[in-house]
Amino acid sequence: MTSGIVFSPRSRLVDRIHRAAPQLTGITLLIALATLPILAAMALDGRSFQGEDIWLKPLKFHIALAIYVGSLAVYALALPPGTMTTRRWRLYQSVVLGAILAELAWISGAAALGTGSHFNLTIPGLYPLMGLAAVTLTSLSLVMGLTFWKLGTSTLHLGLAIGLILTFVLTVIVAGTMSNGTGHHIGTVVTGARIPVMGWSREAGDLRVAHFLATHAMHAVPLAALTGARPVVWGVAVAYTAITFGAFVQALLGLPLI
Amino acid sequence: MTPETLFQIANPLAMLGWLALLASPLAPRVLMPLASVVLPLLLALAYSGLVLAHLAGAEGGFSSLAEVQRLFTQPEIALAGWLHYLAFDLFVGAWATRTAHDEGIPHLFLIPCLVLTFLFGPAGFLAFWLLRTSRMVKKKASA
Repeated sequence: MTSGIVFSPRSRLVDRIHRAAPQLTGITLLIALATLPILAAMALDGRSFQGEDIWLKPLKFHIALAIYVGSLAVYALALPPGTMTTRRWRLYQSVVLGAILAELAWISGAAALGTGSHFNLTIPGLYPLMGLAAVTLTSLSLVMGLTFWKLGTSTLHLGLAIGLILTFVLTVIVAGTMSNGTGHHIGTVVTGARIPVMGWSREAGDLRVAHFLATHAMHAVPLAALTGARPVVWGVAVAYTAITFGAFVQALLGLPLI
Repeated sequence: MTPETLFQIANPLAMLGWLALLASPLAPRVLMPLASVVLPLLLALAYSGLVLAHLAGAEGGFSSLAEVQRLFTQPEIALAGWLHYLAFDLFVGAWATRTAHDEGIPHLFLIPCLVLTFLFGPAGFLAFWLLRTSRMVKKKASA
């Protein structure tokens, strides 16, 4: 009775991505599948935290990190074959994956315990540790960005390089500022009005808008590279950075996005 | 979803798994993955959701029998415990079925062990091992 239970017809694209970045592909699937027990908990839990379903945050972080590592795995296709499977790269990726899993485990564990994950100062040393894990997992975009920069042979490489480096730099600036405050809101929330799906405040400044934009530079700038024109890549990079800082300043002034 | 609703859904699911095991020689390629993987995973998913959602806020604990009893006075935790039985008993039943098939143990001998596992989990597991061991000894003796 050893008949296979694996009924996924694996496409050649997935095989190619897996060959280029086996660790990142593996963790992407793992994180995506881990949303299942979270959805089950969501269906069976009645608790809320700061006015939202308590499991919404773990769900969002799983989806966001799956998109993040999944994108990096796809981008690995543009690296010379075997780049990400050398000993040094595998070791580094293991550290990054450890940081990602630790972050997700605590965010989900905090939800189970009914407490805050970020901005939780009741357990000494925990919040700085989360910051360390966050910077570690974001650093992979910088390291891959620098690798593309050194390759620098095509417009696509340029777009990937700038996008990934911007993701790291902008995210560290925005998320770093956010983590040094007391929460993601600037100003007082009264009614709790939110933008659907994203959950950003419509009454107070919400630093998560700029965090979202900062982190998605890795998608916006490479998209511009598909035009094949280097000036377009640079132009989009500058404009995108400006928009991100605009949203950042807007939130710091205590103004909602819309 | 209320614990009562989930209970009403989980029981027929487990029952379906046990019927699949009993009937497995008829269509092993469909029934075995159903009983050994799909249904235990569904139960495991519901169990995990319950534990994630309700264990931290529950009264009681694991440090003494009285604490454990207190834990199970809460419907959500009692349901989680019940799902634990259902999922693992079915999984053990599927393991026994597969092992019996691999080792050429006739399905007719397996059926009482499955019934025991369904009703009294570990007792069925024990019965299956007794059956297996006796056959091994017999095989050695005749070799």
